[in-house]
Amino acid sequence: MKTLVEMKNVTKKFPGVTALQNISFDIKAGEVHVLLGENGAGKSTLMKILSGVYQPTEGSIILNGKEYDRLTPKDSYENGISIIYQELSVINELSIEENLFVGKLPMAKMAGFPIVNRKLMHQTALELCKKVGLHRDPKTFVEEISISEKQQVEIAKALCANAEVIIMDEPTASLTKEEIDHLFHIIAQLKSEGKGIVYISHKMDEIKQIGDRVTVLKDGTYVGTRNVADVSIDELVTMMVGREIKATYRHEDRTDYSKEPVIFEVRDIARKDQRVKGVSFQLHRGEILGFAGLVGSGRSEMMNAIFGAEPKSAGQVFMNGKEIFINNPYQAIQHGLAMVTENRRETGFINTMDIKKNISLLPYVKTSGMGGLSGLVNEKQDRKWAEEQHENLRIKCAGVDQSILELSGGNQQKVILGKWLAADSQVIIFDEPTKGIDIGSKSEIYVLMRKLADEGRGVLMVSSELPELLAVCDRIAVFREGKIAMIFTSDECTEEKIIRASTGAN
Amino acid sequence: MEKTVNQKKKVSFNELWQKYGTFGILVLLLVILGAIKPESLFIADSVPQILNQSSVNILLALGEFFAILIAGIDLSVGSVAALVGVIVAKMMVAGVSPLAAIFMGIVIGAFIGFLNGALVNSTGLHPFIITLGTQAIFRGITLVLSNARSVFGFPASFTVGISSSVLGIPVSVFIALLMAVILGFFTIKTRAGRNIYALGGNSEAAWFSGINVKLHTLIVFIISGLCAGLAGIVLLGRVGAAEPGAATGFETYAIAASIIGGTSFFGGKGKIFGVVMGGLIIGVINYGMTVMVVPSSYQQIVMGALIIGSVALDRFVASKK
Repeated sequence: MKTLVEMKNVTKKFPGVTALQNISFDIKAGEVHVLLGENGAGKSTLMKILSGVYQPTEGSIILNGKEYDRLTPKDSYENGISIIYQELSVINELSIEENLFVGKLPMAKMAGFPIVNRKLMHQTALELCKKVGLHRDPKTFVEEISISEKQQVEIAKALCANAEVIIMDEPTASLTKEEIDHLFHIIAQLKSEGKGIVYISHKMDEIKQIGDRVTVLKDGTYVGTRNVADVSIDELVTMMVGREIKATYRHEDRTDYSKEPVIFEVRDIARKDQRVKGVSFQLHRGEILGFAGLVGSGRSEMMNAIFGAEPKSAGQVFMNGKEIFINNPYQAIQHGLAMVTENRRETGFINTMDIKKNISLLPYVKTSGMGGLSGLVNEKQDRKWAEEQHENLRIKCAGVDQSILELSGGNQQKVILGKWLAADSQVIIFDEPTKGIDIGSKSEIYVLMRKLADEGRGVLMVSSELPELLAVCDRIAVFREGKIAMIFTSDECTEEKIIRASTGAN
Repeated sequence: MEKTVNQKKKVSFNELWQKYGTFGILVLLLVILGAIKPESLFIADSVPQILNQSSVNILLALGEFFAILIAGIDLSVGSVAALVGVIVAKMMVAGVSPLAAIFMGIVIGAFIGFLNGALVNSTGLHPFIITLGTQAIFRGITLVLSNARSVFGFPASFTVGISSSVLGIPVSVFIALLMAVILGFFTIKTRAGRNIYALGGNSEAAWFSGINVKLHTLIVFIISGLCAGLAGIVLLGRVGAAEPGAATGFETYAIAASIIGGTSFFGGKGKIFGVVMGGLIIGVINYGMTVMVVPSSYQQIVMGALIIGSVALDRFVASKK
């Protein structure tokens, strides 16, 4: 089989981090090459190098017999490489055919002036839609079609650009069973036409179903490439895991907390949108309960529902054995709940405020009646609360009057934690607390979490980084499709077991 | 270490400019006016005149400020002022005492603001769209109530009261100043005020911090309506009759005053002091053009250019140093 793309010894360094270390990867005509690895293993970085978004620090890429040190998006496009991101990049406000031809509209001449050749566009679009099994009039606006249909538009768009290599980043993440079957059918067809497919996925059963070869990455290093037919799921899981866990974060003397009183409990919580389907768990005093699972498995959705930020359709919440009723974040805060959200910038801090005002926001809201409305503020009080947390959490800043935007990610996270502690929160939900934070700050956050649990506060932690969950948590609940698939105690838990439970590879 | 020191210096200059920049522009405009036409500035009643002319604008701008602070806008303030003016005038013509009519006018202004806020909350549409619509609706109601004619014939005590002066300062100016002080206190000292800043800076994060976004949005539009109502009453007192077409286009000045005063269009940033300065700058420009006998058609052009110029100058200086 002809080799379409060959990436040789590619290394990519970002300031302070080596994202890829000496990776080789090739794509042959007529194959599905699966790229496998945990979050942060380097899959996306590698593909971004191939599509010209990032430039490699070392190594080279051979396309159509020509060797490149680096690719521009144009090089990549002209050599027939198309990437379909998980967040689809179709333009909702345009029709299907317009989407297919974005940036390369066929032109005709009318009275000497160039105009868009709508007829040719429509004809070509009809053929392409047929090819990818999209039964829609190409004049339909994209906002009217379903997600799986949008994905078909993306594939048609790649074909329209004469793509030889199509990269699909977790294409089945938001598809139903039938839609997945349909997608696989299209992939098989593309294969038979000699296209090379790079398929990024976590789901083991899919890999077995459509993959020809599989390459595993781990922490930016190359683990190996196998023929899918010759490798068992067990082997693949073993290849993916086994990262060394930094002993410093490990909670040395793990105690059995199951005898401790239950300080927080959730029963049968569910959401109308079916993203959470009846989840129950208990949190004992002193323990940290972790939540593992694939992205989109419903962990954050459940936490938002518990916290009252998004509506729940059923379920009860108990604090120290007493049922509490939460319909909005204000009520959650009154009961001593806190939420360190996943996206600091979007839902975590107020970017127009300085550190002290970000911190004092919470104690003010908590101690005022009428939904956080009544009462006065006092600059001295702001400063007092902020200084306490500045010291307590060792926030690195020029002073509490500094704008929060000037802080590093880790210190911004500490300010957010500080506002919840200033309001004396009793149960704190951490959703991906170390996302985008440097390693030094990460371990500080782990230590803080443990300290909070030791003080008797409840700590819940959602994370997609397994080593971090294993290092920090006392028990780990694994989510799969809106439910808890399994709860492990940290002694019996391994990355392998978590991956199995979350992917359904049993 | 060196870096931090440098940064500190930079921040403090910016802060200085943010605090006093608009004041600087105001002084600059006065100097220019004094240089071109000294006799206009150095007469006894120039300052009260400028203040008097600015009072309606400042009142409208005070309310507009809150709408912009939450990254929204209120295009209906001019219409609300006219509507309240007509209602108050009609009530007085019907025999309601001026004080009661004024009180009712303020309440009605606040209620109209409440309607704006409720519409924004219930539809989830951007305030621009809602108030673009209500601007026309309120103006239409004003025309219906007044039969498209001026309303007059109410007690002289009302007009005399509002246009009279105490210690050389017009009553209308006292009203605007009092509102500025109350709202300044509200923004700096109350939790509701702080929450409005938070919600303007990042409404999602504010929601996760327990702030009732809808309730605060409602408060913002109530304040805007109340200020517009007050502006309508002051205008009524100054003109002496309720014109159904009064305050047409005044929302432009209100928005301009807020922006000149340093309020961020993206929400979450701004100060009442700046808004008052912004209102005064527009007042000075207006006064300057009047004393220089610029024909009214040209006044619009000059005003537009000066609004852009003063905001551009402010941002330019802030970014340079």
